[in-house]
Amino acid sequence: MNKTLLTTAIVAGAVFGTAANAQDEYKIVDEPLELSIQMNHKRYPVYEEDWPVEQEARALTNIHLKDVTVGANIRTDSENTGKTEALNLMLATGKIPDIVGSSRIKDFVNQYGPEGAFLPLNDLINEHAPNLKKFFEEKPEIKAALSAADGNMYYIPYLPDGKYGRAYFIRYDWLDALKLEVPETVDEFEAVLRAFKTQDPNGNGEADEVPYFARQWPELLRLVTLWDGRSSGSDTYHDFLVEDGEIKHPYAGEGYRDGIKNVARWYEEGLVDAEIFTRGSSSREFLLSENLGGVTHDWFASTAGYNRLSADIDGFAFKAFAPPASISGKRIEEHRRIPIKPDGWAIGGTNKHPVETIKYFDFWFTEAGRRLANFGVEGQHYDMVDGKAVFKDSVLNSDEPVNNQLYAVGSQLQARGYFQDYNYETQWSNEFALEGIALYDEGDYLIDQFLGVAFTADEQKVYDKFWPGIRDYMLERQQTWILGTGDVEADWDDYIAQLNKQNFQDVLDVMNSAYKRQYK
Amino acid sequence: MAAARQAKPLKQKLSRFVDHFRNDWQIYLMLLPTIIWMIVFLYKPMYGLQIAFKDYSIFRGVAASPWVGFEHFQTLFSNDQFLRAIKNTIIISALNLLFGFPAPIILALMFNEILHATYKRTAQTIVYLPHFISTVIIAGIVTTAFSPTAGVVNTMIGWFGLDSIYFLTKPEWFRPIFVSTGIWQEAGFGSIVFLAAIAGVNPSLYESAVVDGASRWQMMWRITIPSIMPTIIIMLIIRIGNIMEVSFELIILLYQPATWSTADVVNTFVYRQGLESGQYDVAAAAGLFNAVVAFVLVMTANTLSRRYSRTSLW
Repeated sequence: MNKTLLTTAIVAGAVFGTAANAQDEYKIVDEPLELSIQMNHKRYPVYEEDWPVEQEARALTNIHLKDVTVGANIRTDSENTGKTEALNLMLATGKIPDIVGSSRIKDFVNQYGPEGAFLPLNDLINEHAPNLKKFFEEKPEIKAALSAADGNMYYIPYLPDGKYGRAYFIRYDWLDALKLEVPETVDEFEAVLRAFKTQDPNGNGEADEVPYFARQWPELLRLVTLWDGRSSGSDTYHDFLVEDGEIKHPYAGEGYRDGIKNVARWYEEGLVDAEIFTRGSSSREFLLSENLGGVTHDWFASTAGYNRLSADIDGFAFKAFAPPASISGKRIEEHRRIPIKPDGWAIGGTNKHPVETIKYFDFWFTEAGRRLANFGVEGQHYDMVDGKAVFKDSVLNSDEPVNNQLYAVGSQLQARGYFQDYNYETQWSNEFALEGIALYDEGDYLIDQFLGVAFTADEQKVYDKFWPGIRDYMLERQQTWILGTGDVEADWDDYIAQLNKQNFQDVLDVMNSAYKRQYK
Repeated sequence: MAAARQAKPLKQKLSRFVDHFRNDWQIYLMLLPTIIWMIVFLYKPMYGLQIAFKDYSIFRGVAASPWVGFEHFQTLFSNDQFLRAIKNTIIISALNLLFGFPAPIILALMFNEILHATYKRTAQTIVYLPHFISTVIIAGIVTTAFSPTAGVVNTMIGWFGLDSIYFLTKPEWFRPIFVSTGIWQEAGFGSIVFLAAIAGVNPSLYESAVVDGASRWQMMWRITIPSIMPTIIIMLIIRIGNIMEVSFELIILLYQPATWSTADVVNTFVYRQGLESGQYDVAAAAGLFNAVVAFVLVMTANTLSRRYSRTSLW
């Protein structure tokens, strides 16, 4: 499926590419034009003008982006609050640059775009951006997901390619050592975790194994899917989900209640890392290299990369296994890459060159632009082999991971609106990751994602007023239950009553009215 | 007539002020940086307080956002979490006052009784040091020390054959840990002001007490403490003024959703609502409420102190 997508894009690019003469094929303006840009992303707090990719884009289009980022910070948390903070600061200064790119820009532009802070893009795209126009015509669902409540698009998103994100990983060598099979059901999974805990698979004579661990504690909640609950409807933690055409929240469902009860039991029995809430982001590195961790739920490529530890730990094999069947026999992988991220870039409301800017945005959706955004500069980072971009050996064999090298030259810039090419990643994914992806592909475990809604001003008010408090309350109860300070069965009715007292239904109502307007 | 009578003293006052200023201008010059700092960082921002009564949009700006009256205050006071945050703020502050305020005084009195000079200086330096460690590092030390698997506290509990406790996820343990961390960090540094006050006590008082055969214990109770009482009261008033300002950076670094029930204070609530959820107007309302309460408290403490002990800030 990826392949067909890729071919379509290349063919599309080639068709449009032949229009002008080869030299000036992508040139937008005759005289060099400078546009100001705000760009704050976790990997690159500002836009670097000497990135080779920017240099190349400048040479091709004659448009030069000049960094004027305000409030740059590289603070990262699961909610990307640092990015929103930078955007708010930028808006508070009263000066909006020509182009604004950021993580989590969607809600921001959809709120302030209609107030005039950003330009609506629909007409500009129709008139001046053939590649973008074609892209959105082919994918109306993406256009629907992008649009603000007034029906306009205010940003061009970063569009991830490929489907697979996280997966369950287990120490196959530990399974072999204890003569166990790969767990196929939730009961077998529990038995395996218990064996890891009690039968000393690392062979050091101590019961120091940590059966299930995670870098991000919300990954513990994924386990509720084993009891037919849900932990999130999208790749953002604690998000709403769509069920039977209606928006619901996973933390108010029956399966969740059952799941939490069992996760709490696992926690109490020590099948789950006791310090999962405080250990933090280095836990994967620590627990794997100390030969302590047994199972986790994490990204394919980076987790499979830990098999390099086999050099130090005899027999080390950390490989993906299919999601165990839930109590009702369903096997789902809740996490996947969503087709559209809330990251990307927008045109500032005071931009004096909107036509040139949209043409510039369009450039990144041409064949050459997309390659530049995905693979870096031809001849420096990749070569064309049989019509395909192939990374140079110096890039593939470097000590630095390929994605980090690309970030450093301004490629795979996820605060830029571009369509990712999964081919970039398969070239450097190791065999264990590819093997795992094939396993997940075969089983077809992925489920549909909730792509978010855009509120009207009134809906936004209701959401802002009640949702943060409800969410805090949900997380607080959740942790209390897992840690055993409260009992989910005993507390459940009070919990639902409290949610309703905090106007949970009103939040669901605005979510649903926005959802119906946008997707039906 | 009346106007003329008033005008004369005013003119006199003014010329006295100008003379005074001409003589001591260096002192006023030294005051200037602080005044500028206060104007820029404390007085100018007061203009923005109005967003507590507005439907604030960053794009429209402070002036152009429409007024909504007390809507945000109604939102806050119908929010259980906010009410709980007020309760927690008061409880944590009261514990801080109860245990944290006497600690530096006791420490200063103890230092005062040490006769060996080198030992005294070394001990003082050691207790001052934690004050200079950044809050983030303090939080790291606390998290590690109370870790259920590798922490020193649980290791010691293990010696007595007891089960380890995951302290930082237990609501009942949050306040003791937070308050004692605060004391450990600040008591030493806080004792400096009291040591200075003790150094200012007239030595002849002690000399005559020795002649009268007083013990050291009696001298401490009858001379040292009464002599430094004005300092203690001033420090207490300042402390009461800051009662709503618990050091929320440390709380943010140490709390978990599981401990919010005892750890969430007004400032952490404001942080989550305002910065994480982008509701500046509601957060400003919460902050304004906080400031008003603190103002009332400090005024009350000052008035009471002036009436009963004749010591006051103003």
